[in-house]
Amino acid sequence: MRVTFPHMGNLWIIAKTLLEDLGLEVIVPPLPNRRSLDVGVRHAPEFACFPLKLNIGDFVGALDQGAEAIVMAGGIGPCRFGHYAQVEAQVLHDLGYDVEMVILEPPRGHLDGLLAKIRRLSGGKPLTRVWRAIRFGWEKLVALDEFDRALTRARPVERLTGSAARAHRAAAARLADADGVWATRRVGREGVREILCAAGLEESGRPGEPSWGKPFPRLRVGLVGELFMVAEPFANQEIERRLGEMGVEVLRPLYLSDWVRTHLIPRVFQPGRRRRASEVKRAARPYLGHFVGGEGLDSVGETILFDRQGCDGVIHVAPFTCMPEIVAASLLPEAGRDLGLPVLSLFLDEHTAEAGLTTRLEAFVDLLGRRRAVGGAREKW
Amino acid sequence: MAMAWQLRLKDGAVVGLPRALLFYELYPFWRGLLEGLGLRVAVSTATSPKLIEAGARHAMDEACLPVKSFYGHVMVLRDRVDAVFLPRLVSLSPGTYTCPKMLGLPDMVRQNLRSLPPVIVADFDARLWRRSLEEGGESVACRLGRSRGQAREAVSRGLEALRSFRGSLEAGQSFEEAASGAAPGWKTPLEGWKTPLEGWKTPLEGWKAPLAGGDPAPTRPGPRRLRVGLVGHAYNLFDPGVNLGLGRKLVALGCDLVTSEQLSEEEVQTESAALPKEIFWSSGRRILAAVTRFRRRELVDGFIHVVSFGCGPDSMVGEIAERETRRSSNLPYMALTIDEHTAEGGLLTRLEAFTDMLARRRARPETPEGSVAAEVTA
Ligand code: SF4
Ligand code: SF4
Repeated sequence: MRVTFPHMGNLWIIAKTLLEDLGLEVIVPPLPNRRSLDVGVRHAPEFACFPLKLNIGDFVGALDQGAEAIVMAGGIGPCRFGHYAQVEAQVLHDLGYDVEMVILEPPRGHLDGLLAKIRRLSGGKPLTRVWRAIRFGWEKLVALDEFDRALTRARPVERLTGSAARAHRAAAARLADADGVWATRRVGREGVREILCAAGLEESGRPGEPSWGKPFPRLRVGLVGELFMVAEPFANQEIERRLGEMGVEVLRPLYLSDWVRTHLIPRVFQPGRRRRASEVKRAARPYLGHFVGGEGLDSVGETILFDRQGCDGVIHVAPFTCMPEIVAASLLPEAGRDLGLPVLSLFLDEHTAEAGLTTRLEAFVDLLGRRRAVGGAREKW
Repeated sequence: MAMAWQLRLKDGAVVGLPRALLFYELYPFWRGLLEGLGLRVAVSTATSPKLIEAGARHAMDEACLPVKSFYGHVMVLRDRVDAVFLPRLVSLSPGTYTCPKMLGLPDMVRQNLRSLPPVIVADFDARLWRRSLEEGGESVACRLGRSRGQAREAVSRGLEALRSFRGSLEAGQSFEEAASGAAPGWKTPLEGWKTPLEGWKTPLEGWKAPLAGGDPAPTRPGPRRLRVGLVGHAYNLFDPGVNLGLGRKLVALGCDLVTSEQLSEEEVQTESAALPKEIFWSSGRRILAAVTRFRRRELVDGFIHVVSFGCGPDSMVGEIAERETRRSSNLPYMALTIDEHTAEGGLLTRLEAFTDMLARRRARPETPEGSVAAEVTA
């Protein structure tokens, strides 16, 4: 059976590795692009949220290349994501595609049920085999997220625009070929070093600041918001690259591997994670006293934690009409006012014009720069 | 902000209920509960364009019309009552949620609107306790410093009123009739109001839809009025200020109406359990169940789904309902998207076109016309 899955940032790395290791033939949809977006927008419900439209574009791309089944996550609400798979199945069906949807419903959002489904998908491979596949995919995801993190540190200080990104691409390609957990780890370590070196940084990223280029200390901006928008560069119009090239260091609490740690791995195995989650919740409490689905609560909590870390500002990205993030965006201005922290909420969708976005980002970065000039650095390191 | 707050309200203090969102599903319960706790209840005035505009100024642009209207209703109440009732309605029955925005609503209102009187907040969450109205009601009582006994009595009074209200709705009464039947005192103006309570009487004549006492005869044979299945959130169906008098307009165009609110909870459960995956929004469950049931039993000539612009649940549930309708019948299905910019004239034109089409179809019953999806956003 040839299977496919939707794109979301680095997700394809882990998904491809895992499914292939289970003996399935995998068709990775073309990376999200203008065309797949057009296809998605044409066929998806007009008022669906943006990620669903991109999903449809991905699926059509993969089905046209011969995929027969789609692996998709489910959910129990309260947000729309939990019903994506059903709506998508109907849309594809009405388009005339004969496709099987394998929906991974996380019962109570934990790993056990997911494992069982994945195993069934693999035709009953022994659990140890499944576990090895997961381990391997996981290592790749962690490594790739580390690359991304290094890139956000390297970009603002690189001398030649694009050199860090080039190193990142080379490292990612090598990672894709890495075979086995140990090789993956080694490529991961080397890759981080190379990306930082490309911008003249040492491994820690702090000492050995390069002598050239952008002023130091750099502006630091926290990036919060809905998972898909934060993780998928095509959806957020490469906001990390844009900011990086303006000399801003982007801090992102939410990498895919973090999301997996928080949502799929039982908390008892990772006390640190639990502490972090309750810290976020506690930070958000004065403004939002209840989870609201998606990443709404995290957006508020992380913003406040970023303030404590001395960030210059926070950018909040979300798809147009995203419910949890509308709640967050209603509260963030109040939090920003109380803390004296500039916050920019960006609701993006297929109609967002690139020029308008650039202008807003530049104006925001300008504002942060002026505040820095007047008030001095908020650095705490 | 301290969360374990206690709010001292003397007997006879006036508590304001914003006439928006789940007010249209739970009003009799709130009233029974609060009056049972010795408080007096004031309901905000009917939704008007001015009220919506005021709410929209303080809410985010991206928020949906019902949320903006909720803001407006809180603003009407804010300097006229001793406390505003702002429950957090997470879930009203096991396995369901209301909507992410309702989960965050109390926080949004408290942060975005200034100079509010004290607010009564409490979580109503059936996922944890299974009996959200009971438990939530008791926690309200406890926070107001009332005794357990009084709390229980107030809750059962509220539930009693709610049952009678639902019964009347299911029998096809209008919201006004059902509400005033279940919770008398509905129309008594309250001292202390600075503005007269005009807009109290907003009857929806013609809402006596024919589901009373079991299902009516199927639609096919014989000459009769057109019958439209009107589905959507209760606050979109019942608030003429939000839906621009949709009910009355349809009746004037010669339609009988059957609404999704006429299904009993059991009927919703039965229809919903038959699905491969149940919808996890309570309103969505009801809407889909109504569409399925009306279609299967041939109770209606067509559907109008009242959708809030930017509503998450509607965008998903509406899509499923519409596609299913198109696949398994040839009943027209119109998604009527409403926001604060919707113009009354445009709405009327669309309704006329739709009912004309229904009439034509009935004259030539075998012509499939498919479903009509369109939006009325100006
Ligand atoms: S979090 Fe936002 S984008 Fe994601 S499913 Fe929910 S509404 Fe859609
Ligand atoms: S269910 Fe829809 S209309 Fe109601 S509050 Fe939520 S988003 Fe708004």
